[in-house]
Amino acid sequence: MTFLVKRLMVLAVTLFVVSFVVFLIPYLTPGDPARKILRARVGDLDADPEALAGLRETYGLDRPLLVQYGDWLGGALRGDLGLSYTSRTPVVDMLGGALTVTAVLAISTLLLALLVAVPLGSLAAVRRGTPVDTAITTVTQAFVAVPEYWLAPVLVLVFSLQLGVLPSAGWEGPASMVLPCLTLALRPMSYFTQVTRASMIDVLGSPHITAARARGLGFGATMLRHGVRNALLPVLTLFSLWLAGLLGGSVVVEVIFSIPGMGRLLYESVVNNDVPAIQAGIVSLVGLAVLITTLTDVVHAWVNPTVRAPHVSG
Amino acid sequence: MNALLTVDNLTVRAGADPATRILDGVSLTIHEGEVLALVGESGSGKSMTALALIRLLPAPLVAEAGALTVAGEDLLAAGERRMNAIRGGTIGMLFQQPKRMLDPTATVGAHVAEPLRRFGRLSRAAARRATVELLADVGIPEPRRRARAYAHQLSGGIAQRVMIATALAGQPRLLIADEPTTALDATVEAQILRLIAAKKAELGMSVLFISHDLRVVSAIADRIAVMYAGRIVEQGPAAELLAAPQHPYTRALVECSLLRPDEHGELYAIPGHAGPALSLTAGCRFQPRCAASHAARLEHQCAAAEPELAFSGGGSADHTTRCWVASPQAAPSHAAQPKEQV
Repeated sequence: MTFLVKRLMVLAVTLFVVSFVVFLIPYLTPGDPARKILRARVGDLDADPEALAGLRETYGLDRPLLVQYGDWLGGALRGDLGLSYTSRTPVVDMLGGALTVTAVLAISTLLLALLVAVPLGSLAAVRRGTPVDTAITTVTQAFVAVPEYWLAPVLVLVFSLQLGVLPSAGWEGPASMVLPCLTLALRPMSYFTQVTRASMIDVLGSPHITAARARGLGFGATMLRHGVRNALLPVLTLFSLWLAGLLGGSVVVEVIFSIPGMGRLLYESVVNNDVPAIQAGIVSLVGLAVLITTLTDVVHAWVNPTVRAPHVSG
Repeated sequence: MNALLTVDNLTVRAGADPATRILDGVSLTIHEGEVLALVGESGSGKSMTALALIRLLPAPLVAEAGALTVAGEDLLAAGERRMNAIRGGTIGMLFQQPKRMLDPTATVGAHVAEPLRRFGRLSRAAARRATVELLADVGIPEPRRRARAYAHQLSGGIAQRVMIATALAGQPRLLIADEPTTALDATVEAQILRLIAAKKAELGMSVLFISHDLRVVSAIADRIAVMYAGRIVEQGPAAELLAAPQHPYTRALVECSLLRPDEHGELYAIPGHAGPALSLTAGCRFQPRCAASHAARLEHQCAAAEPELAFSGGGSADHTTRCWVASPQAAPSHAAQPKEQV
């Protein structure tokens, strides 16, 4: 499987480059790191020089940048991303928890979106030009414009306050996932529906569908065996883009529903100037994004043989 | 010989509008083991006829027919479930551009195995063996390896052989071949024609062979039907129709197929172009391009009324032509008396 090996090498190189750039970013912003740490911890603007020296000593901030990077990278490879400037707990632990929460949220959101969008988009394509198609197209186009900070309170108002069937906040058990997932799923669901519709219309008009019908396959069987697989290729690409995006966490939704996810963690780290948390957070998100792209390529190759198999003629 | 396919008065319209006759009163008969070629230029309605026969016309098009019978079965009365058994079963289809007729995400073997499993009720393993046999049978080298290949890895010729294997998998009584060699190289074209002819002889199939190319048709057809703007204008035994074409349009086609330059070194081309079947007049559809009508001074009659498909004198009794000039006896009494043939 040279295809996979090549892909994984690209992944490693990308991660290496990204980690260096991300490591540098806090040093490129003006200000003394030690001073920033102190300010983050105690809000002390008029820092004691001895305390600053102590911090430089503890975190090795007076060493050359490349040495610091090497140190950090070595630690990262061993699973040690340093201590948070604010909470003084290992960054790995903070990150692991937040990433798990966000991953669960993102994947359930997108699966929900996909589950609704593929049948809906296919229906619109098959019934192209009818009122059913018009309704689906118009509604999903409108949904794209619905902002999360509006939808979330409305859902809370209806399901938590009026009906009292779902919790309005927190992250405990499946019930608490429903409203955040619904809020997040609306936009990807709308995009997936429209892309499914467009690519399904394409596939429906392609000659191999006529040929399959002429072989005696019924319409439904033709769609299942020769339609959906072809039609899902563009949806797959869009799905992976959304997944990479959602793993960064949605600040709005995580704050509104009090979800301890990546969005909130990163937001708070930036506000608090918690450099180790920011660095580790960004690198792991970029790493995940590249990993997802790689996985998408692998799945693409599995679904679409023109990517995988060599072109030979004869 | 018994008739395997009977088409009577097949008409195709776009929607409910009676004026839009894309196919108009097409009647065909194909006997058991016979090859009927349907010839005409692009847009004359040949492919439309093929799709109407297996009742797979795209949405706005509606077909009507007096009769549509294959192997004794009335296709007009058949339900969708029965039609699915007839498509790929009783009737096999070949198309132009074979590579685009294969699902890009499915292997060659999957295509061939599909009708085998459905019609032959074979197990997965048995279907796989039968697939490799069929692929070898249609002259595909290394059939075991090819069965695992995808459309984009095939040449046009191999892809058409795959389509032939797929069509034969359902053991059809009638093979409809819609321009099966048009997208292929001349040498490959000859191979595919030989393969179709060989399979037809071996399996005793009938073939409806659709082509725009009289030279290709002359190699395979027993009888020829010539189509112009949704109408059959001449029909008869292949050799006779090619040697002594009656309809001015058929003559022009034969002249074109000879690729014989005139004294100026120019190849013959039929003047004008086929008008859209939507803008029909009452008269003969070929009249605006017809030199014979002009020479015989029959323009008035030809433009006023369309002739019937009738015996045109000379040759076999089943050689019929739709032409005032060629079939003078068919002229209605109120029209001017036509002159002898031009």
